[in-house]
Amino acid sequence: MKDIKFSARNVQVYYGTTHAIKDVNVDIADKTVTAFIGPSGCGKSTFLRSLNRMNDTIDICRVEGDILLDGEDIYDKRVDPVQLRAKVGMVFQKPNPFPKSIYDNIAYGPRIHGLAKNKTDLDEIVESSLKRAALWNEVKDRLDAPGTGLSGGQQQRLCIARAVATQPEVLLMDEPCSALDPIATAQVEELIDELRSNFSVVIVTHSMQQAARVSQKTAFFHLGNLVEYGETGQIFTNPVDPRTESYISGRIG
Amino acid sequence: MSDQHILSAYDRDLESIQALVMKMGGLVEAAILDGAQSLETRDVELAEKVRANDKAIDELELRINEEAARCIALRAPVSKDLRTVLTTLKLAGSLERIGDYAKNMAKRTNVLVEMREIPGPDASLRRMAREVEGMLRDVLDAYIQRDAKLAEQVREHDHDVDQMYNAMFREFLTFMMEDPRNITACMHLHFIAKNIERMGDLVTNMAEQVIYLVTGELPEDSRPKADSTSYISKVD
Repeated sequence: MKDIKFSARNVQVYYGTTHAIKDVNVDIADKTVTAFIGPSGCGKSTFLRSLNRMNDTIDICRVEGDILLDGEDIYDKRVDPVQLRAKVGMVFQKPNPFPKSIYDNIAYGPRIHGLAKNKTDLDEIVESSLKRAALWNEVKDRLDAPGTGLSGGQQQRLCIARAVATQPEVLLMDEPCSALDPIATAQVEELIDELRSNFSVVIVTHSMQQAARVSQKTAFFHLGNLVEYGETGQIFTNPVDPRTESYISGRIG
Repeated sequence: MSDQHILSAYDRDLESIQALVMKMGGLVEAAILDGAQSLETRDVELAEKVRANDKAIDELELRINEEAARCIALRAPVSKDLRTVLTTLKLAGSLERIGDYAKNMAKRTNVLVEMREIPGPDASLRRMAREVEGMLRDVLDAYIQRDAKLAEQVREHDHDVDQMYNAMFREFLTFMMEDPRNITACMHLHFIAKNIERMGDLVTNMAEQVIYLVTGELPEDSRPKADSTSYISKVD
């Protein structure tokens, strides 16, 4: 068993009076890809966003229970959400590069977090981040070009490079491939598999096949409940809960 | 939980592969009964029919393999749908082997009619074949009804077939020692008995596969083997 990165205990999330996440308990392992699957509105994205306090930005959202990162409560008053998000990076459904050069897209985070002492340091971070995101060879000759000029798949890898530049410990991905073609999807999936040697990766996906391809652990959410959580191979060959069975095999639940 | 897929064509695909297995099973059941009957009644015409019908069984196996491969490629089945498709392939493979054994029984019938008859074994072999055919019928029922309990009963039943084979093995030894002119016929009859016993083993494998289909796990305990002829050195 790998080390536990995130530990959630009796987590409830409310949007106003709507109870969106109901009593979720889960341990997310380090250096592992964990997939969250479930029908639209089941709470998987809400739960993902509560792992780096993205829900703080929504006024009516309330989180109860404990979410521990390496044993520390991330909702503790002393925790700075900006520092937390440097540790727990996020990649979104639609690639959203800054309207800046490719170089500055990557350099932005390390600059504001003071991760580079000088220009040489920063150059190195940019290069290694782009290499990790398997984008370096395609953009090394045009680092000054705008990030928004890249193709969709390249933009998404740029966003992943940007997320890994601040040396996070966890990478949260919310449908990172839904706007990509199959080739770009395969490249991002290959990347996710490589990233898992350094990070804990949590991915929300509507594609069951993607969850099966990239993850080692799968969690199935339904109506705000965590219905089943287990080894990906087991979930897809012999799920315990009939609701999981219905969902993954494409039956009416 | 609903049993139907949102995509109804997927259900039609799965149903059609399973229908092919049932059809194949029906042909194999008939081959076992006809093969044993042709032997007991020395009916060369019936034996010929069994041999000819084996082609249809082989063709069904190919079709099941193709449709299962197609289903895997196009539908990417998971969980119990995946088990359904995998089970179809395994059952079709076992049925094809059983069909071959039945054909072999018919072939030997053609040879045996030319020899002097040994009283007794033909009727015993037919009883044994009926026993195996009954097991096969139950396994096919268990398969289509997803009945792990019935499959488990079939598995226990194989013991009886093994016992019948043990008894016949000794009987053949006795006949051969009594009169060496019986040896050729007894050798053929023994192969038939052995083949029926192998059919029983294959049906047992099918029962285990059905248990896997229903529960997601193969039975763990190993079945008690009752074929003790490997240890027989002399007739008591």
